Amino acid sequence: MKIVDKIKAFSRILSWALVFFFAYLLFSPVVSFAAIDTIAVDVGISVFKTMPIGVVPFAENKGAIEWIEEKPHQIVTRDAQLSGRFEVIASDKFNLALFSKNRAKHYITGKVTPAEGGKLRLECFLYVAQTKDLLLGEAYTISQQDLRRAMHKFFDEVIYRLWGERGVASTKLAYVSKMDGIKQVVVSDYDGFHRSQITRDTTISMMPVWMRENKGLYFVNFKTHRPKLYSKLFGGPIKSVFPQLDQTYSPAVNPKTGELLFSSTVDGKTDLFIGNPETGKAKKFAYLKSNQTSPAWSPFASEVLFTSDRGGGPQIFVMGKDGSDMRRVTFMGRYNERASWSPEGDRIAYTSMDNGKMNIYTCALDGSDIVQLTNNAGNNEHPTWSPDGKLIAFASNRSGSYQIYIMRKDGSNVTRITNSGENTSPTWSFFYEDANKQQTKEGAK
Amino acid sequence: MKNLIKFALVATAASLVLVACSKQQPPVTDPAAETAPAAAATEAAPAAEAAPVNQDSLAAEQARLEAERIAQERARLEAERARLEQLINQIMSEDVYFDFDRSELTEKAKELLAQVGELLIKEERFTITIEGHTDARGTEDYNFTLGAKRAMKVKEFLAAYGIDGKRMESVSYGKEAPKVEGASEEAYSQNRRANFRVNIKD
Repeated sequence: MKIVDKIKAFSRILSWALVFFFAYLLFSPVVSFAAIDTIAVDVGISVFKTMPIGVVPFAENKGAIEWIEEKPHQIVTRDAQLSGRFEVIASDKFNLALFSKNRAKHYITGKVTPAEGGKLRLECFLYVAQTKDLLLGEAYTISQQDLRRAMHKFFDEVIYRLWGERGVASTKLAYVSKMDGIKQVVVSDYDGFHRSQITRDTTISMMPVWMRENKGLYFVNFKTHRPKLYSKLFGGPIKSVFPQLDQTYSPAVNPKTGELLFSSTVDGKTDLFIGNPETGKAKKFAYLKSNQTSPAWSPFASEVLFTSDRGGGPQIFVMGKDGSDMRRVTFMGRYNERASWSPEGDRIAYTSMDNGKMNIYTCALDGSDIVQLTNNAGNNEHPTWSPDGKLIAFASNRSGSYQIYIMRKDGSNVTRITNSGENTSPTWSFFYEDANKQQTKEGAK
Repeated sequence: MKNLIKFALVATAASLVLVACSKQQPPVTDPAAETAPAAAATEAAPAAEAAPVNQDSLAAEQARLEAERIAQERARLEAERARLEQLINQIMSEDVYFDFDRSELTEKAKELLAQVGELLIKEERFTITIEGHTDARGTEDYNFTLGAKRAMKVKEFLAAYGIDGKRMESVSYGKEAPKVEGASEEAYSQNRRANFRVNIKD
């Protein structure tokens, strides 16, 4: 083909493309966002690299222990599957051929024996498969009720040894659970076990968020017939925070200072306020014409995500911690709300409504690279990042009732962690600081 | 929500009873407060002094009159209470509905609000709390702001109708207090609303 022909062919294609483009502009219902509506969306493409790991049942004398809980290797297996970091290669006994075939360079096993006072002596080991070199060994003497937590602790040690990062097996979730028709705030381990009720009120409690160092929670309660923020240190009393302000909700704890960013509605207008919950002093955060809610801090508290209705429906914006340099983040769709910043700082997760259905998305900070994480499974909302940034917990009514689920940050490996009643609005705790483990990523290896 | 309405009703009823009681009580506790109790007190005193004159029948007659008076007063208060309760129920049943993710008042909403406005103009002791609600779709957070906008639109309308802003308070319940449970369009449309709680100013 001559160059002239090529140019002709190209210009023909171009003219058709233009015709289609203008036809699209003409018939598209939302002309102003027509170009933006064509942003590509990925659905559930796994971008995770997982590490195969062998798990072998812990040695025990037959009948020596009456198991009322799951056995140690079952707990570790669930932790490994939930972690988003491992692929479990299960085996009844050490099996080098199987481990090698599945590229499992390490395996976990242990030994459990009865100890005094009905307790258990638990020995947990991480071995190199090829050499059987011991990489990590931990021993605990515990009652059987504490087995799960001991295994979580050991599993986080395994993650630290193999990944040089802190794991989340010892973290917790706060969420809202309907009891006798009233929403109450509850806390459980990240896997849904060891649940404890935090509020016992005759009025709605909701929107729990964690204080720094996981010392307690802030949440919203309706005892005064209005949404108002309260604080509760674990084991302490419930206290009103910022009682001078009307209708306070959407709390977000500054991870560096402990200050609280939140919404307050006065005479129908909703603004962001920032305050010190210790002193009770608060001031308006940004003076904007629109209503603002759902604030969220960046990992180092330098910037703030929030939702504004200035375009009519809710859209996500970001601004500096001093209220400057406001930018719009979401453009696709008419309803994008409640963004939260990944602990790694590179992406945000948020909820978007389309045709009345809620789904969870992530995108880059400039709104590009949108990935839809949930699809075709009821409503999915209220995403919250695990503190290691690998996982997202959320609420979904895909089973018929609202329950809490955990998935990897790419939307894969969805696991339900609550089973009964109605559970919504999860927020993930911070890491639990271990006194003998103050090292960070850099300190590893 | 039902509980809340019930609570509001009970609270209002209780306050009415209290008002009623406080009007009946003075004869005993504070004789100087009102004319009727004062009369009762002055009648009672001479009766005690004029002991010889057929004390028993006089006392009985007085007791009868007093009982009658109290009964009449009770009936009057009861009627007033029933009238107020009926008005309060009327106002509390006047829900105003909205379109999805909108806070503008529809024509029908304005008609209803005009009726509420009339009632509020007549009954100056009434103060109201306007509660804004949303349907179950969307986030808790944004629905608070949406409910607040709806309550505010109602308040603005009533203010324009001539109701003093001090008599009105607005609050958002977001999606937390649905009138109708369920995930149907029917339930949603019933829940996208603003409703009233009525209090009586002393």
